[in-house]
Amino acid sequence: MSTTPAWLTVTLREVETKVRDKAFIISTLITVGLIVGSIALSGFLANRTSTYTVAGADRPSLRVLEHAQQIQPQDVDLSVQNLPDDQARQQLEAGTLDAVLHSTGPGKFTLTGGEEVPAKLRSLLDTSVEQVLTAELLSSAGIDPGQLPADTALSVTLLQGDAERNSMIQAMAFIFSFLFYMAALIFGMPIANSVIEEKQNRVVEILASTIRLRELLAGKIIGNVILALGQLLLFLGVGLLAAWLAPIEIPFLGVVFQVATWFVVFFLAGFLVLAGCWAALGALATRTEDLQQSSGPVVTVLIGILFIGLYAKGTVLVIASYVPIVSSVAMPIRLLTGQVPWFEPVLSLLVALAFCWVVLVFAERIYRRAVMHTGGALTLRKALKLEE
Amino acid sequence: MLELQNISRSFAEHQVLHDVSFQVPAGSLTGFVGANGAGKTTTMRIIMGLLAAHHGTVRLNGGDLGAGTRRGFGYMPEERGLYPKQPVIDQLVYLGSLHGLARSTARQRAMELLERFGLAARARAKLESLSLGNQQRVQVTAALLHEPQVLVLDEPFSGLDPLAVDAMSSILRDYANRGVPILFSSHQLDLLENLVDHLVIIQDGRILANDAAGALRRRHTDKHRLVLEHDAGWLREHPGVTALDVSGPEALVSFADPQLAQQVLAEAMRRGAVHEFATHRPTLADIYREIIR
Repeated sequence: MSTTPAWLTVTLREVETKVRDKAFIISTLITVGLIVGSIALSGFLANRTSTYTVAGADRPSLRVLEHAQQIQPQDVDLSVQNLPDDQARQQLEAGTLDAVLHSTGPGKFTLTGGEEVPAKLRSLLDTSVEQVLTAELLSSAGIDPGQLPADTALSVTLLQGDAERNSMIQAMAFIFSFLFYMAALIFGMPIANSVIEEKQNRVVEILASTIRLRELLAGKIIGNVILALGQLLLFLGVGLLAAWLAPIEIPFLGVVFQVATWFVVFFLAGFLVLAGCWAALGALATRTEDLQQSSGPVVTVLIGILFIGLYAKGTVLVIASYVPIVSSVAMPIRLLTGQVPWFEPVLSLLVALAFCWVVLVFAERIYRRAVMHTGGALTLRKALKLEE
Repeated sequence: MLELQNISRSFAEHQVLHDVSFQVPAGSLTGFVGANGAGKTTTMRIIMGLLAAHHGTVRLNGGDLGAGTRRGFGYMPEERGLYPKQPVIDQLVYLGSLHGLARSTARQRAMELLERFGLAARARAKLESLSLGNQQRVQVTAALLHEPQVLVLDEPFSGLDPLAVDAMSSILRDYANRGVPILFSSHQLDLLENLVDHLVIIQDGRILANDAAGALRRRHTDKHRLVLEHDAGWLREHPGVTALDVSGPEALVSFADPQLAQQVLAEAMRRGAVHEFATHRPTLADIYREIIR
């Protein structure tokens, strides 16, 4: 006689069946490929530099262009040519030059392009003109320009940082919402289906005469939680590893890593609630077809979560971060801002866990009553009236 | 010995079992017979703990049953249930582990039983690819895997071909010989004839008979069958004789007093030749019909 507890045997079966399922293996591998691919692609796009050749027709223009070369951002490569006006125009028409800069009077410049002037180039030269003119003005007033720019530089970096952080939050919000939505379907639905399968084929009669129904249910839920969590960790791990190994520097990796850890914990609480719901729905149904009707509300909630994750802002997001299930996505998104005090996620997690407990107890009651019922599909109310 | 004491159960307003009491002696094959809807399946589900009794107890060797004890029971439900899409051996190993067997032991036992049913070659096949009869054998295998202390089988013979019936009978006999109490329901009374040691008859949720098959047979051997040369109609008028069935020269009668047999025989011989005069050995089917009448 072995001492393996019954729930563990059930859990192992759930995991084994899924891990041997070719469709599951293939879809997991494809997703891993997509994650690595999209990170590599965004790295490549960010790394691509735009090369511009601009001619300066006079000394002030050349000074502006040289200054532009000094302040050009990483993704811009500006080369400067010293050409007289008519020659520059010829080359511009021939397409070997991107633009020509001339001085049209003190403190005034004209940038001439072919069909268009690239926005990046324009804003670079804009900044350069402004800085060169300001420097000249300051030095004519006897002020060392080196004393001032620190102020402007600081404000520019901050502005840039916020924008970057916002786009990071948006990207991560999408990833969190999508991962949760996918897991809830990929691993939640099978709980319902395997409950129905056992009910429909009456295996549950044999199982129930062998082990307690509570153990059977626990084994199923734990098995799918392990699978869901395993896949989530795989995806997050591969994603973070790829981002870390990427040749370019991806900002906020530290924050993302920290919040991802929170997400895993919140994911677990949210998924457990859904697992309980799926199991109860499975027990209420008689055939797989019944599930298509009864799963409507759960799927609606899931789509709602996807939308909240993608679009919720401000107060809505704050409220959502305390609503169980939704908080699995909403709280990690808030945490990405780095402006949430530590007790908020803890409180939200406690709310989620309390709710989780209530749902699981309730789901177990429904499951125990409904799964042995042989007639047609049951409603929630009828199921609760059933006698064991 | 498995013992049911005063079990009652209702569904909504409808009482399905009334004070059901009977025993399944250790080492006996106990047949459980009754019409459809008589309460056989409900009784078996109560034994297996799948349904709660509203009243009464089920005891094994004098002790109350808990979930732990039932883990050692083998059960074959009326509505067969296994995983259609899983290979035969995999689900047997799974069910064996749930019963507390180590996987290797479960696998070995499953293969032995499949061998015995001539199904070893199909062990890797998905259940749904097997014929219904073979699925049935797998179902029995599932009930026997863990060397159960008690076997409860709901219609184990239905859907089996004659060879499988023989294999099943011999397996059940083996288990009974090991001292396992076996309760099985059937409505194929002819199959029970040479198989059962003990018979329980249920009708409308009430137990009508609960006795050793031999004792039942003896109790119901109170009839004589006569085949005469001439019409046997005179038997109807003979004092102390109940003519149960008379057609031409043949008759089935019972005597108020056993002493009367010789008198009637003498009278018959006086009236002509007597081709046959024998105690009538009722089949279980006869006894069943008589009891439920």
